[in-house]
Amino acid sequence: MATSFKFKPLTISILLLFLYNAIASSASGSSSTTMHTNNWAILVCTSRFWFNYRHMANTLSLYRTVKRLGIPDERIILMLADDMACNARNKYPAQVFNNENHLLNLYGDNVEVDYRGYEVTVENFLRILTGRHERAVPRSKRLLSDEGSHILLYMTGHGGDEFLKFQDSEELQSHDLADAVKQMKEKRRFKELLIMVDTCQAATLFSQLQSPGVLAIGSSKKGENSYSHHLDSDVGVSVVDRFTFYTLAFFESLNMYDNASLSSLFTSYNPNTLMSTAYYRTDLYQRRLEEVPVTNFFGSVMETIHTDSPYRAFSNRYYRKSKTEMPSDQSGGGNRRALKDLDILEELADPKLNVRPLQSTYLLVHEG
Amino acid sequence: MAEVSAVVKPKPRPIIRIGLFLISHSLFVSIVCCIAGVLALLLLPVLAKNTYISENALMPGSASAMLSSDDASDGHVFLNKIMSISSMSKNSGIEIPELIAKHITESGGEVNYHKFQPLSDSFHPLQFFVGPDAGIVQDNYSSTSYGVNTVGIVRAPRGDGKEAIIIVTPYNSVKPTTSEALSLGVAYSVFTLLSRVSWLAKDIIWVAADSRHGEHAAVAAWLRDYYTLSSGDLEHEVTSVKREGVSNGFRRAGTMAAALVIKVADSSTGFEKDGLKIYAEASNGQMPNLDLINIDNYLAVHGQGLQVRVEKIWSLLDSWWLYSLGELQELIGKVAKSLNPGWKFGIPASDYVEGCATLASSLYNQALGVPTGPHGAFRDYQVDAITLEFSPRFSSSQRVLFLLHVGRLVEGVIRSVNNLLEKFHQSFFLYLMTSPSRFVSVGIYMIAFALLIAPLPLAAAALFSDASKSKSPGESIPTSPAWNWLYAAKTVLIVHLWGAIVTIIPYLLHQSPDSSPLTSLSMWIASSAILLFFTRAASGSLPFSRASQLQTSEWTLLKAVTVATAFIGLCLMSVINYATAEIGALLLVPMCLMAVPLRADLKAKTMKAVVRGACNLLLVFVGFPPAAFLLSKVALAGFDRVRLDDFWNWTESLREWNSATYIYICMVHLPCWVLCIHILLHRR
Repeated sequence: MATSFKFKPLTISILLLFLYNAIASSASGSSSTTMHTNNWAILVCTSRFWFNYRHMANTLSLYRTVKRLGIPDERIILMLADDMACNARNKYPAQVFNNENHLLNLYGDNVEVDYRGYEVTVENFLRILTGRHERAVPRSKRLLSDEGSHILLYMTGHGGDEFLKFQDSEELQSHDLADAVKQMKEKRRFKELLIMVDTCQAATLFSQLQSPGVLAIGSSKKGENSYSHHLDSDVGVSVVDRFTFYTLAFFESLNMYDNASLSSLFTSYNPNTLMSTAYYRTDLYQRRLEEVPVTNFFGSVMETIHTDSPYRAFSNRYYRKSKTEMPSDQSGGGNRRALKDLDILEELADPKLNVRPLQSTYLLVHEG
Repeated sequence: MAEVSAVVKPKPRPIIRIGLFLISHSLFVSIVCCIAGVLALLLLPVLAKNTYISENALMPGSASAMLSSDDASDGHVFLNKIMSISSMSKNSGIEIPELIAKHITESGGEVNYHKFQPLSDSFHPLQFFVGPDAGIVQDNYSSTSYGVNTVGIVRAPRGDGKEAIIIVTPYNSVKPTTSEALSLGVAYSVFTLLSRVSWLAKDIIWVAADSRHGEHAAVAAWLRDYYTLSSGDLEHEVTSVKREGVSNGFRRAGTMAAALVIKVADSSTGFEKDGLKIYAEASNGQMPNLDLINIDNYLAVHGQGLQVRVEKIWSLLDSWWLYSLGELQELIGKVAKSLNPGWKFGIPASDYVEGCATLASSLYNQALGVPTGPHGAFRDYQVDAITLEFSPRFSSSQRVLFLLHVGRLVEGVIRSVNNLLEKFHQSFFLYLMTSPSRFVSVGIYMIAFALLIAPLPLAAAALFSDASKSKSPGESIPTSPAWNWLYAAKTVLIVHLWGAIVTIIPYLLHQSPDSSPLTSLSMWIASSAILLFFTRAASGSLPFSRASQLQTSEWTLLKAVTVATAFIGLCLMSVINYATAEIGALLLVPMCLMAVPLRADLKAKTMKAVVRGACNLLLVFVGFPPAAFLLSKVALAGFDRVRLDDFWNWTESLREWNSATYIYICMVHLPCWVLCIHILLHRR
């Protein structure tokens, strides 16, 4: 480094570019060592029609849970293939329940559906995962994750051996999913990915996955059906599936600050009550499940590091070692997204971008 | 290589060799196939599968019934009002429609009267090809004899208004019976409930059909007008906005998803519980989607604890031979199970007999081609419909309870159909019932038919090859055998043309002023016979007559062509109405295959020839349509109940309902029968 000062400024800048590249490549090579900085959730209900009410209720229940545990709406991509709340057959217009006691209206305030009805297609789903959208797609419909993201991918619908039915016409195959996840990995769109599937023969859907950092759990093994939990004879349909029901029951007692581990979630599934065998795949996942709190995926809780001088952070060339304080809830979205990709380097080269007002007391760690 | 191929005779392809083998053994194959076909038909009750609800969207019984006892007692009050009007001496037939309309308006539905006049009996032999003619709109309500249907509509509060579910209650508006009033009460209590609920996705139409001119006529008239856009419709749209309430304009809702005809039987017939009888057969053996029957059956049995039945032929229940057949198959099933526990077939003998009786009734009703209730009118418009006939086991004090049960069943069915997203399409349309919860699907029952008619083409081919091989030595003119069959074909064609004329004769007889059925029948038969005689004489004088005289010895060719036409006729009929073709094949196939000139049998004087001749005579006697009809009537109803003119009435009903069976009998069966007689009486 010291020798570079002897050369002309042009050479210096070229060398600096090299330096950036080196840093960037080292970052890509060791994405497992990058810090967990943010959480995303993609919640997908793939089936249409009134008699699949429960799938929408499943997804909305999960939506409520992850929201309660701290993932903000703008980082939840909610895909609902049909609108049960406004279905003419719904005895309770504009309401969706996941229990026959009707205590909780899942379709109450603040439900932001990102993809609805016929927008829920295999193509759109894969576009969300891989981030290859048409230009016109608004940011709220994109998965703007980065290599520090923990992503929860929850899917429910009708599945079979190595496929998941979308709408009434198409299928997502296990190869498609594995391929998309692989692309995500290469594009450094996640640090860890939890795929949770509540369908028949759910375990077959992630049989093709190869990418490290992926953890998968399904409601049933190959050859098994996943069953609904109970029928609401008032509404006239089954309102929730067993796997999701017991998942929700597990989270019911938890709040944002609990340290329940993933393994305690996974072992909470009882094959007798589930009427199928919950299957989880951990061979691609590095950490021990006992040490991973569920809020790592279902919430947005992570390690925070306090820094004294936020403003200096990005003006420092060695920004990778620095910790930047970032707002997480209000205007923070813009910052976070700006910092997500490789083009961060160019953005960082522009000092104007680095100085931003601070409005929040949360600390979020970001890196290039 | 070239030498080898020259030495080895080129072999025909395997399929041709198999065909040649079968043709050369056609007698044996024919016997085996016919017996197998009859056996397969008798085995159908064993092969029947349990019904299941195929459409996921239906979800019958998943919602709890909302019809309360208050609704039922409202229905009871309504019923009493109708009965009090009915007991009044002076009743012009408009009081009850007015009462119904008033109640519909009070419960929040739209209502209109539909005046209609029954269409005169008309004979449209080809109507089953073109469907009901919706173009006929009659405006001359000259007489007072028109009927008044009362039509109430509940609009689905959040539905798109594109689909509707129909409830039909036929009743006599002049003098309704208690059971008709009960069915009105059921419909009313369900209708008021549905006008309150928030889960409707399809509109509900309640048609209180005036059955003064027959139940079917009233419903058919309403349907005809529903599907015809008349000029008054647009005007009505304007007026209906102006004034609410009863209008004479025609009100419509969307396309019909399903229709339920609700009837109450006059007397309970041997049910231990409240009973439900399901009628499904529409014209020409068309059936509603099996799912519609399934949900009714499911909800009636599991929801309301009713005893469900479909029609069966009662006299078959006591037949000893069916019972012994049942015991035989039960025994075989047990033996098979002891050999391999995995083989599970065979049902209890009593179940088998019940299944056979139901199957026979199902087959007969489909073969007849006459709808078994007002639901038949809906099927003409491709709407799935059934008639539910309830038989209460009540003293009149339990009427409210009966209304509650039946109302809940109807509500459940409507809610289930309401869940439907598309037309009924998942389950079967071609099936035979062997009990309310068991059915035989088309894939299985076609096997019996296919086995029965399989010998026909084989026999025809065998006869043809025989005829072309064995030339009588005395023949002077060397004619190519390839053309000989044309003379036989000419005879067959003429007889079939005669059959077409016979089809029309009753229509001409109908023009003459009222004559008794017996005289009509005898005139029909006589004129047909005379006509046949004349056609034969006329065809004999045709220019081809010399050549045909030379070939008269070739009865085998005539038989070959007869058998071939029988095959074609049966195949065509099986497409239109399977059941007719099956029953027809049972009569026609043995008759056609056995036919051999009687003289030849008499000359031979062997035991075999005599037996064959006797069989031929018997088959020809049984094959004569009136004889077959009367014999089956005697077998089922007993000798004293049968009158000779029943056959005329029977064919007349077939004509009135435009049944394809009538055309089959006159244009396929009868000509084949005549040709068989022709062969039997052949000089040689």
